[in-house]
Amino acid sequence: MPDEISYTGLFFGFLLLIIPLLIMRYVRLNMGKESLTAILRMTIQLFLAGLFLTFVFDMNNPVLNLLWFFLMVSFAAFESVQRQEMDLKSLYLPTLGAFLGGTFLILMYVNAFVIDLANVFEAPYLIPIGGILLGNSLGGTIIGVGNFYSSLKRNENRYVSRLSFGAGMNEALMPYVRKGLRSSLKPAVGDISTIGIVHLPGMMSGQLIAGASPFLAIKYQIAVMVSVYVSTVTCVTLAIFLTSRICFDEYGMLKDHVFRNTPDVA
Amino acid sequence: MSSELIRYKDICVDFHGSRLFSNFNLTVNLGDKLILKGRSGSGKSTLLKILLGILRVDDGEVFYRGKKVSSSNIWDIRKEIAYVSQDTDIGEGIVKDLINEIFSFDHNRGRKYHRKRNSLLEYFGLDRSIVYKKFEGLSGGEKQRICIIISVLLGKEIFLLDEVTSALDPELKEKVVDFFLENEDWTLLVVSHDNTWDRVAMDEVFVDGCEINA
Repeated sequence: MPDEISYTGLFFGFLLLIIPLLIMRYVRLNMGKESLTAILRMTIQLFLAGLFLTFVFDMNNPVLNLLWFFLMVSFAAFESVQRQEMDLKSLYLPTLGAFLGGTFLILMYVNAFVIDLANVFEAPYLIPIGGILLGNSLGGTIIGVGNFYSSLKRNENRYVSRLSFGAGMNEALMPYVRKGLRSSLKPAVGDISTIGIVHLPGMMSGQLIAGASPFLAIKYQIAVMVSVYVSTVTCVTLAIFLTSRICFDEYGMLKDHVFRNTPDVA
Repeated sequence: MSSELIRYKDICVDFHGSRLFSNFNLTVNLGDKLILKGRSGSGKSTLLKILLGILRVDDGEVFYRGKKVSSSNIWDIRKEIAYVSQDTDIGEGIVKDLINEIFSFDHNRGRKYHRKRNSLLEYFGLDRSIVYKKFEGLSGGEKQRICIIISVLLGKEIFLLDEVTSALDPELKEKVVDFFLENEDWTLLVVSHDNTWDRVAMDEVFVDGCEINA
Protein backbone atom coordinates (compact mmCIF):
# COMPACT_ATOMS: atom_id res chain seq x y z
CA MET A 1 0.00 0.00 0.00
CA PRO A 2 1.22 3.52 -0.75
CA ASP A 3 1.97 5.95 2.05
CA GLU A 4 -1.16 7.60 3.38
CA ILE A 5 -1.50 11.35 2.83
CA SER A 6 -2.70 12.90 6.08
CA TYR A 7 -4.92 15.96 6.19
CA THR A 8 -1.92 17.87 7.51
CA GLY A 9 -0.12 16.64 4.43
CA LEU A 10 -2.91 17.92 2.20
CA PHE A 11 -2.71 21.23 4.03
CA PHE A 12 0.96 21.47 3.11
CA GLY A 13 -0.09 20.69 -0.45
CA PHE A 14 -2.47 23.62 -0.50
CA LEU A 15 0.25 25.79 1.06
CA LEU A 16 2.09 25.51 -2.27
CA LEU A 17 -0.60 27.71 -3.77
CA ILE A 18 1.06 30.70 -2.10
CA ILE A 19 3.62 30.61 -4.93
CA PRO A 20 1.18 31.27 -7.79
CA LEU A 21 -0.70 33.78 -5.64
CA LEU A 22 2.49 35.74 -5.02
CA ILE A 23 3.41 35.58 -8.69
CA MET A 24 -0.02 36.84 -9.69
CA ARG A 25 0.24 39.65 -7.21
CA TYR A 26 3.60 40.63 -8.56
CA VAL A 27 2.61 40.60 -12.23
CA ARG A 28 -0.85 41.93 -11.38
CA LEU A 29 -2.56 39.02 -13.03
CA ASN A 30 -6.12 39.01 -11.86
CA MET A 31 -6.65 35.27 -11.80
CA GLY A 32 -6.28 34.43 -8.13
CA LYS A 33 -9.93 34.22 -7.29
CA GLU A 34 -10.70 32.24 -10.41
CA SER A 35 -7.94 29.74 -9.71
CA LEU A 36 -8.86 29.30 -6.07
CA THR A 37 -12.52 28.76 -6.98
CA ALA A 38 -11.50 26.09 -9.49
CA ILE A 39 -9.28 24.39 -6.93
CA LEU A 40 -12.01 24.51 -4.31
CA ARG A 41 -14.47 23.05 -6.79
CA MET A 42 -12.06 20.30 -7.74
CA THR A 43 -11.47 19.45 -4.07
CA ILE A 44 -15.18 19.21 -3.30
CA GLN A 45 -15.87 17.17 -6.44
CA LEU A 46 -13.09 14.75 -5.65
CA PHE A 47 -14.18 14.34 -2.04
CA LEU A 48 -17.67 13.55 -3.24
CA ALA A 49 -16.23 11.16 -5.81
CA GLY A 50 -14.16 9.59 -3.03
CA LEU A 51 -17.24 9.07 -0.89
CA PHE A 52 -19.24 7.72 -3.75
CA LEU A 53 -16.49 5.45 -5.08
CA THR A 54 -15.91 4.03 -1.59
CA PHE A 55 -19.56 3.12 -1.55
CA VAL A 56 -19.56 1.72 -5.08
CA PHE A 57 -16.37 -0.26 -4.52
CA ASP A 58 -17.67 -1.68 -1.25
CA MET A 59 -20.88 -2.81 -2.84
CA ASN A 60 -19.19 -3.86 -6.08
CA ASN A 61 -22.60 -4.55 -7.51
CA PRO A 62 -22.56 -4.98 -11.32
CA VAL A 63 -25.80 -3.05 -11.77
CA LEU A 64 -24.62 -0.16 -9.63
CA ASN A 65 -21.25 -0.10 -11.41
CA LEU A 66 -22.91 -0.01 -14.78
CA LEU A 67 -25.29 2.65 -13.64
CA TRP A 68 -22.38 4.79 -12.53
CA PHE A 69 -20.65 4.25 -15.85
CA PHE A 70 -23.80 5.20 -17.79
CA LEU A 71 -24.08 8.32 -15.68
CA MET A 72 -20.55 9.23 -16.74
CA VAL A 73 -21.45 8.52 -20.39
CA SER A 74 -24.57 10.67 -20.27
CA PHE A 75 -22.59 13.49 -18.72
CA ALA A 76 -19.89 13.16 -21.39
CA ALA A 77 -22.51 13.36 -24.14
CA PHE A 78 -23.96 16.47 -22.57
CA GLU A 79 -20.56 18.09 -22.22
CA SER A 80 -19.64 17.19 -25.80
CA VAL A 81 -22.70 18.76 -27.42
CA GLN A 82 -22.47 21.77 -25.13
CA ARG A 83 -18.82 22.44 -25.94
CA GLN A 84 -19.36 22.03 -29.68
CA GLU A 85 -21.90 24.84 -29.36
CA MET A 86 -24.52 22.69 -30.99
CA ASP A 87 -28.21 22.35 -30.19
CA LEU A 88 -28.56 20.01 -27.22
CA LYS A 89 -32.10 18.93 -27.94
CA SER A 90 -31.42 17.55 -31.38
CA LEU A 91 -27.89 16.25 -30.85
CA TYR A 92 -27.94 14.74 -27.39
CA LEU A 93 -29.30 11.29 -28.24
CA PRO A 94 -27.07 10.55 -31.23
CA THR A 95 -24.04 11.76 -29.27
CA LEU A 96 -25.02 9.54 -26.36
CA GLY A 97 -25.28 6.62 -28.76
CA ALA A 98 -21.82 7.39 -30.12
CA PHE A 99 -20.25 7.42 -26.65
CA LEU A 100 -21.99 4.24 -25.64
CA GLY A 101 -20.92 2.46 -28.80
CA GLY A 102 -17.41 3.84 -28.74
CA THR A 103 -16.55 3.35 -25.09
CA PHE A 104 -18.81 0.75 -23.50
CA LEU A 105 -18.28 -2.00 -26.07
CA ILE A 106 -14.54 -1.43 -26.17
CA LEU A 107 -14.38 -1.32 -22.39
CA MET A 108 -16.16 -4.67 -22.18
CA TYR A 109 -13.74 -6.12 -24.72
CA VAL A 110 -10.70 -4.84 -22.80
CA ASN A 111 -12.00 -6.14 -19.48
CA ALA A 112 -12.86 -9.51 -20.95
CA PHE A 113 -9.95 -10.23 -23.24
CA VAL A 114 -7.07 -7.91 -22.39
CA ILE A 115 -7.20 -7.72 -18.61
CA ASP A 116 -8.93 -11.09 -18.64
CA LEU A 117 -11.32 -10.37 -15.77
CA ALA A 118 -13.70 -13.04 -14.61
CA ASN A 119 -16.26 -10.34 -13.92
CA VAL A 120 -16.17 -7.60 -16.55
CA PHE A 121 -18.28 -5.30 -14.36
CA GLU A 122 -15.71 -5.23 -11.54
CA ALA A 123 -15.81 -1.68 -10.12
CA PRO A 124 -12.05 -0.99 -9.76
CA TYR A 125 -11.63 -1.73 -13.50
CA LEU A 126 -14.91 -0.67 -15.04
CA ILE A 127 -15.00 2.77 -13.51
CA PRO A 128 -11.40 4.05 -13.78
CA ILE A 129 -10.67 2.53 -17.20
CA GLY A 130 -14.12 3.56 -18.40
CA GLY A 131 -13.34 7.04 -17.16
CA ILE A 132 -10.05 7.17 -19.05
CA LEU A 133 -11.68 6.00 -22.30
CA LEU A 134 -14.56 8.37 -21.85
CA GLY A 135 -12.44 11.38 -20.90
CA ASN A 136 -10.16 10.96 -23.90
CA SER A 137 -12.93 10.21 -26.38
CA LEU A 138 -14.79 13.23 -25.08
CA GLY A 139 -11.85 15.48 -25.85
CA GLY A 140 -11.48 13.92 -29.29
CA THR A 141 -15.17 14.13 -30.06
CA ILE A 142 -15.45 17.77 -29.11
CA ILE A 143 -12.61 18.61 -31.48
CA GLY A 144 -13.55 16.15 -34.23
CA VAL A 145 -17.28 16.69 -34.46
CA GLY A 146 -16.89 20.42 -33.89
CA ASN A 147 -14.41 20.56 -36.74
CA PHE A 148 -16.68 18.48 -38.98
CA TYR A 149 -19.62 20.85 -38.64
CA SER A 150 -17.64 24.05 -38.63
CA SER A 151 -15.79 23.17 -41.82
CA LEU A 152 -19.03 22.03 -43.43
CA LYS A 153 -20.58 25.33 -42.60
CA ARG A 154 -17.54 27.28 -43.72
CA ASN A 155 -17.07 25.36 -46.98
CA GLU A 156 -20.64 24.46 -47.77
CA ASN A 157 -20.01 25.01 -51.46
CA ARG A 158 -17.58 22.11 -51.55
CA TYR A 159 -20.25 19.85 -50.14
CA VAL A 160 -22.90 21.12 -52.54
CA SER A 161 -20.50 20.73 -55.47
CA ARG A 162 -19.88 17.12 -54.58
CA LEU A 163 -23.60 16.49 -54.44
CA SER A 164 -23.95 17.99 -57.89
CA PHE A 165 -21.02 15.86 -59.09
CA GLY A 166 -23.12 12.81 -58.31
CA ALA A 167 -22.09 12.03 -54.74
CA GLY A 168 -24.45 10.39 -52.31
CA MET A 169 -24.66 12.09 -48.96
CA ASN A 170 -21.97 9.99 -47.30
CA GLU A 171 -19.70 10.36 -50.31
CA ALA A 172 -20.15 14.11 -50.24
CA LEU A 173 -19.37 14.24 -46.53
CA MET A 174 -16.16 12.23 -46.76
CA PRO A 175 -13.67 15.13 -46.89
CA TYR A 176 -15.30 16.59 -43.80
CA VAL A 177 -15.25 13.25 -42.01
CA ARG A 178 -11.55 12.97 -42.82
CA LYS A 179 -10.92 16.47 -41.55
CA GLY A 180 -12.83 15.87 -38.33
CA LEU A 181 -11.08 12.58 -37.65
CA ARG A 182 -7.67 13.99 -38.46
CA SER A 183 -8.10 16.92 -36.11
CA SER A 184 -9.20 14.69 -33.26
CA LEU A 185 -6.54 12.03 -33.77
CA LYS A 186 -3.56 14.32 -34.19
CA PRO A 187 -3.32 15.11 -30.46
CA ALA A 188 -3.97 11.46 -29.60
CA VAL A 189 -1.21 10.24 -31.87
CA GLY A 190 1.12 12.90 -30.49
CA ASP A 191 0.39 11.77 -26.95
CA ILE A 192 0.94 8.15 -27.79
CA SER A 193 4.31 8.72 -29.38
CA THR A 194 5.79 10.82 -26.58
CA ILE A 195 4.65 8.63 -23.75
CA GLY A 196 7.36 7.13 -21.58
CA ILE A 197 9.83 9.81 -22.63
CA VAL A 198 8.19 13.12 -21.90
CA HIS A 199 5.86 11.98 -19.19
CA LEU A 200 4.66 8.97 -17.31
CA PRO A 201 0.91 8.97 -17.63
CA GLY A 202 -1.33 9.24 -14.60
CA MET A 203 -2.50 5.69 -14.57
CA MET A 204 1.00 4.27 -14.74
CA SER A 205 2.28 6.66 -12.08
CA GLY A 206 -0.63 5.66 -9.87
CA GLN A 207 0.19 2.00 -10.18
CA LEU A 208 3.87 2.62 -9.49
CA ILE A 209 3.04 4.60 -6.35
CA ALA A 210 0.68 1.84 -5.32
CA GLY A 211 3.66 -0.51 -5.45
CA ALA A 212 3.04 -2.33 -8.73
CA SER A 213 6.02 -3.57 -10.70
CA PRO A 214 7.04 -1.28 -13.58
CA PHE A 215 6.29 -4.05 -16.06
CA LEU A 216 2.79 -4.53 -14.78
CA ALA A 217 2.30 -0.77 -14.97
CA ILE A 218 3.52 -0.47 -18.55
CA LYS A 219 1.42 -3.39 -19.74
CA TYR A 220 -1.66 -1.70 -18.36
CA GLN A 221 -0.56 1.55 -19.89
CA ILE A 222 -0.03 0.01 -23.31
CA ALA A 223 -3.43 -1.66 -23.19
CA VAL A 224 -5.07 1.57 -22.08
CA MET A 225 -3.35 3.70 -24.74
CA VAL A 226 -4.44 1.32 -27.48
CA SER A 227 -8.02 1.25 -26.24
CA VAL A 228 -8.10 5.03 -25.82
CA TYR A 229 -7.00 5.40 -29.42
CA VAL A 230 -9.55 2.88 -30.68
CA SER A 231 -12.38 4.34 -28.68
CA THR A 232 -11.56 7.89 -29.78
CA VAL A 233 -11.68 6.90 -33.46
CA THR A 234 -14.89 4.96 -32.88
CA CYS A 235 -16.62 7.69 -30.88
CA VAL A 236 -15.73 10.45 -33.33
CA THR A 237 -16.81 8.41 -36.36
CA LEU A 238 -20.04 7.27 -34.73
CA ALA A 239 -20.78 10.77 -33.47
CA ILE A 240 -20.31 12.24 -36.95
CA PHE A 241 -22.47 9.67 -38.70
CA LEU A 242 -25.18 9.47 -36.04
CA THR A 243 -25.52 13.24 -35.65
CA SER A 244 -25.49 13.77 -39.40
CA ARG A 245 -28.71 11.74 -39.63
CA ILE A 246 -30.25 14.53 -37.58
CA CYS A 247 -28.37 17.59 -38.77
CA PHE A 248 -29.29 17.29 -42.44
CA ASP A 249 -32.73 17.60 -43.90
CA GLU A 250 -34.17 15.15 -46.40
CA TYR A 251 -32.63 17.21 -49.22
CA GLY A 252 -29.23 16.62 -47.69
CA MET A 253 -28.79 20.23 -46.64
CA LEU A 254 -27.45 21.24 -43.24
CA LYS A 255 -30.19 22.43 -40.91
CA ASP A 256 -29.44 25.80 -39.43
CA HIS A 257 -31.07 25.28 -36.08
CA VAL A 258 -28.67 22.53 -35.03
CA PHE A 259 -26.13 25.25 -34.33
CA ARG A 260 -26.41 27.30 -31.24
CA ASN A 261 -25.67 31.01 -31.39
CA THR A 262 -26.54 31.31 -35.04
CA PRO A 263 -28.44 34.53 -35.39
CA ASP A 264 -31.85 33.83 -36.85
CA VAL A 265 -32.27 35.18 -40.31
CA ALA A 266 -35.34 37.30 -39.88
CA MET B 1 -41.97 20.00 -81.04
CA SER B 2 -40.56 20.66 -77.66
CA SER B 3 -40.73 18.65 -74.51
CA GLU B 4 -40.81 20.31 -71.16
CA LEU B 5 -37.80 19.65 -68.94
CA ILE B 6 -37.98 22.16 -66.13
CA ARG B 7 -40.86 24.32 -65.03
CA TYR B 8 -40.85 26.95 -62.32
CA LYS B 9 -44.43 27.59 -61.30
CA ASP B 10 -45.46 30.60 -59.24
CA ILE B 11 -42.22 30.62 -57.30
CA CYS B 12 -42.01 32.85 -54.25
CA VAL B 13 -38.82 33.13 -52.28
CA ASP B 14 -38.18 35.17 -49.18
CA PHE B 15 -34.68 36.16 -48.36
CA HIS B 16 -33.67 37.86 -45.14
CA GLY B 17 -37.26 38.70 -44.48
CA SER B 18 -38.04 40.36 -47.76
CA ARG B 19 -39.49 38.86 -50.90
CA LEU B 20 -36.97 37.94 -53.56
CA PHE B 21 -39.47 36.54 -56.05
CA SER B 22 -43.14 36.52 -56.21
CA ASN B 23 -44.88 34.34 -58.75
CA PHE B 24 -41.91 33.67 -60.95
CA ASN B 25 -42.74 31.39 -63.87
CA LEU B 26 -40.43 29.83 -66.41
CA THR B 27 -40.51 26.76 -68.59
CA VAL B 28 -37.34 25.24 -69.96
CA ASN B 29 -37.65 22.72 -72.76
CA LEU B 30 -35.22 20.01 -73.66
CA GLY B 31 -32.39 21.49 -75.71
CA ASP B 32 -33.19 25.08 -74.76
CA LYS B 33 -30.35 27.46 -74.25
CA LEU B 34 -31.46 30.15 -71.87
CA ILE B 35 -29.62 32.99 -70.29
CA LEU B 36 -30.98 34.51 -67.12
CA LYS B 37 -30.54 38.24 -66.90
CA GLY B 38 -31.14 40.76 -64.21
CA ARG B 39 -29.16 42.92 -61.90
CA SER B 40 -26.99 41.50 -59.13
CA GLY B 41 -28.98 40.24 -56.24
CA SER B 42 -32.09 39.67 -58.31
CA GLY B 43 -31.94 35.98 -57.50
CA LYS B 44 -30.67 34.38 -60.68
CA SER B 45 -28.38 32.01 -58.81
CA THR B 46 -31.19 31.31 -56.40
CA LEU B 47 -33.27 29.89 -59.23
CA LEU B 48 -30.53 27.42 -60.08
CA LYS B 49 -30.10 26.44 -56.46
CA ILE B 50 -33.82 25.85 -56.07
CA LEU B 51 -33.80 23.36 -58.90
CA LEU B 52 -30.96 21.48 -57.20
CA GLY B 53 -32.66 21.46 -53.82
CA ILE B 54 -29.92 23.57 -52.27
CA LEU B 55 -32.47 26.25 -51.46
CA ARG B 56 -36.16 25.83 -50.86
CA VAL B 57 -39.03 27.91 -52.18
CA ASP B 58 -41.42 29.58 -49.80
CA ASP B 59 -44.25 29.10 -52.19
CA GLY B 60 -44.77 27.60 -55.62
CA GLU B 61 -43.47 24.45 -57.21
CA VAL B 62 -40.65 23.31 -59.44
CA PHE B 63 -41.21 20.49 -61.88
CA TYR B 64 -38.51 18.38 -63.44
CA ARG B 65 -39.50 16.13 -66.31
CA GLY B 66 -43.08 16.69 -65.28
CA LYS B 67 -42.60 15.62 -61.69
CA LYS B 68 -42.64 17.91 -58.73
CA VAL B 69 -39.16 18.35 -57.26
CA SER B 70 -39.18 16.86 -53.80
CA SER B 71 -36.88 15.22 -51.31
CA SER B 72 -37.59 11.84 -52.85
CA ASN B 73 -36.47 12.64 -56.39
CA ILE B 74 -33.93 15.40 -55.74
CA TRP B 75 -31.07 12.93 -55.41
CA ASP B 76 -31.75 11.57 -58.89
CA ILE B 77 -32.26 15.04 -60.32
CA ARG B 78 -28.85 16.13 -59.02
CA LYS B 79 -27.32 13.18 -60.81
CA GLU B 80 -28.77 14.30 -64.13
CA ILE B 81 -27.86 17.96 -63.90
CA ALA B 82 -24.38 19.39 -64.16
CA TYR B 83 -23.99 22.47 -62.00
CA VAL B 84 -21.07 24.83 -62.18
CA SER B 85 -21.35 27.30 -59.36
CA GLN B 86 -19.85 30.78 -59.37
CA ASP B 87 -18.07 29.68 -56.21
CA THR B 88 -15.16 27.65 -57.57
CA ASP B 89 -14.07 26.44 -54.16
CA ILE B 90 -14.94 22.81 -54.79
CA GLY B 91 -12.29 21.20 -52.63
CA GLU B 92 -8.62 21.04 -51.87
CA GLY B 93 -5.66 18.89 -52.69
CA ILE B 94 -4.07 17.70 -55.90
CA VAL B 95 -6.33 18.29 -58.92
CA LYS B 96 -5.88 14.73 -60.12
CA ASP B 97 -6.95 13.30 -56.77
CA LEU B 98 -9.90 15.64 -56.64
CA ILE B 99 -11.09 14.45 -60.06
CA ASN B 100 -10.37 10.80 -59.30
CA GLU B 101 -12.39 10.99 -56.12
CA ILE B 102 -15.37 12.39 -57.98
CA PHE B 103 -15.15 9.48 -60.41
CA SER B 104 -14.99 7.03 -57.52
CA PHE B 105 -18.53 7.97 -56.43
CA ASP B 106 -20.91 5.06 -56.86
CA HIS B 107 -22.84 6.91 -59.49
CA ASN B 108 -19.78 7.75 -61.62
CA ARG B 109 -17.79 4.60 -61.14
CA GLY B 110 -16.67 2.94 -64.33
CA ARG B 111 -16.97 6.12 -66.37
CA LYS B 112 -13.89 6.52 -68.55
CA TYR B 113 -12.60 10.04 -68.37
CA HIS B 114 -8.82 10.17 -68.66
CA ARG B 115 -8.54 10.68 -72.41
CA LYS B 116 -11.41 13.14 -72.54
CA ARG B 117 -9.97 14.98 -69.57
CA ASN B 118 -6.71 15.53 -71.41
CA SER B 119 -8.37 16.73 -74.58
CA LEU B 120 -10.58 19.12 -72.61
CA LEU B 121 -7.57 20.48 -70.73
CA GLU B 122 -5.97 21.16 -74.07
CA TYR B 123 -9.09 22.74 -75.56
CA PHE B 124 -9.47 25.10 -72.60
CA GLY B 125 -5.83 26.12 -72.74
CA LEU B 126 -4.57 24.31 -69.68
CA ASP B 127 -1.32 22.44 -69.52
CA ARG B 128 -1.69 18.77 -68.64
CA SER B 129 0.70 19.22 -65.72
CA ILE B 130 -2.01 21.20 -63.96
CA VAL B 131 -3.48 17.96 -62.67
CA TYR B 132 -0.44 17.56 -60.43
CA LYS B 133 -0.93 20.96 -58.83
CA LYS B 134 -2.92 21.79 -55.76
CA PHE B 135 -6.40 22.97 -56.59
CA GLU B 136 -6.41 25.64 -53.92
CA GLY B 137 -3.26 27.16 -55.40
CA LEU B 138 -4.74 27.66 -58.87
CA SER B 139 -5.86 31.02 -60.21
CA GLY B 140 -9.54 31.88 -60.39
CA GLY B 141 -9.62 31.29 -64.13
CA GLU B 142 -7.88 27.94 -63.84
CA LYS B 143 -10.30 26.83 -61.15
CA GLN B 144 -13.22 27.86 -63.32
CA ARG B 145 -11.97 25.81 -66.21
CA ILE B 146 -11.31 22.76 -64.01
CA CYS B 147 -14.88 23.02 -62.68
CA ILE B 148 -16.22 23.22 -66.22
CA ILE B 149 -14.12 20.24 -67.30
CA ILE B 150 -15.34 18.12 -64.39
CA SER B 151 -18.94 18.98 -65.17
CA VAL B 152 -18.47 18.00 -68.80
CA LEU B 153 -16.65 14.77 -67.95
CA LEU B 154 -19.64 13.62 -65.94
CA GLY B 155 -21.41 13.15 -69.25
CA LYS B 156 -24.61 14.96 -68.39
CA GLU B 157 -26.77 16.83 -70.86
CA ILE B 158 -28.30 19.52 -68.68
CA PHE B 159 -26.05 22.32 -67.52
CA LEU B 160 -26.63 25.04 -64.98
CA LEU B 161 -23.79 27.48 -65.47
CA ASP B 162 -23.49 30.25 -62.93
CA GLU B 163 -20.99 32.93 -63.99
CA VAL B 164 -18.61 30.32 -65.32
CA THR B 165 -16.67 32.69 -67.54
CA SER B 166 -16.24 35.60 -65.15
CA ALA B 167 -12.54 35.06 -64.47
CA LEU B 168 -11.51 34.16 -68.02
CA ASP B 169 -9.90 36.35 -70.64
CA PRO B 170 -11.94 37.16 -73.79
CA GLU B 171 -10.53 34.38 -75.96
CA LEU B 172 -11.25 31.75 -73.37
CA LYS B 173 -14.71 33.15 -72.75
CA GLU B 174 -15.38 32.60 -76.46
CA LYS B 175 -14.07 29.07 -76.29
CA VAL B 176 -16.28 28.21 -73.34
CA VAL B 177 -19.36 29.73 -74.95
CA ASP B 178 -18.63 27.96 -78.24
CA PHE B 179 -18.12 24.70 -76.46
CA PHE B 180 -21.46 24.76 -74.70
CA LEU B 181 -23.47 26.09 -77.63
CA GLU B 182 -22.01 23.62 -80.09
CA ASN B 183 -23.95 20.69 -78.75
CA GLU B 184 -27.57 20.93 -79.84
CA ASP B 185 -28.86 18.30 -77.45
CA TRP B 186 -27.60 20.04 -74.37
CA THR B 187 -29.95 22.12 -72.29
CA LEU B 188 -28.30 25.20 -70.85
CA LEU B 189 -29.48 27.50 -68.13
CA VAL B 190 -26.87 30.21 -67.90
CA VAL B 191 -26.39 33.05 -65.48
CA SER B 192 -23.81 35.49 -66.75
CA HIS B 193 -22.94 39.14 -66.98
CA ASP B 194 -20.57 38.42 -69.84
CA ASN B 195 -21.76 39.73 -73.17
CA THR B 196 -19.84 36.93 -74.84
CA TRP B 197 -22.98 34.85 -74.43
CA ASP B 198 -24.99 37.59 -76.18
CA ARG B 199 -23.36 37.25 -79.56
CA VAL B 200 -25.28 34.06 -80.16
CA ALA B 201 -28.99 33.80 -80.25
CA MET B 202 -29.87 32.68 -76.78
CA ASP B 203 -33.26 33.17 -75.29
CA GLU B 204 -33.11 35.74 -72.56
CA VAL B 205 -35.13 35.60 -69.41
CA PHE B 206 -35.33 38.65 -67.22
CA VAL B 207 -35.34 37.92 -63.57
CA ASP B 208 -36.77 40.82 -61.67
CA GLY B 209 -39.66 41.94 -59.60
CA CYS B 210 -38.06 41.81 -56.24
CA GLU B 211 -37.79 44.19 -53.39
CA ILE B 212 -34.46 45.69 -52.56
CA ASN B 213 -33.06 44.81 -49.21
CA ALA B 214 -32.65 47.80 -46.95
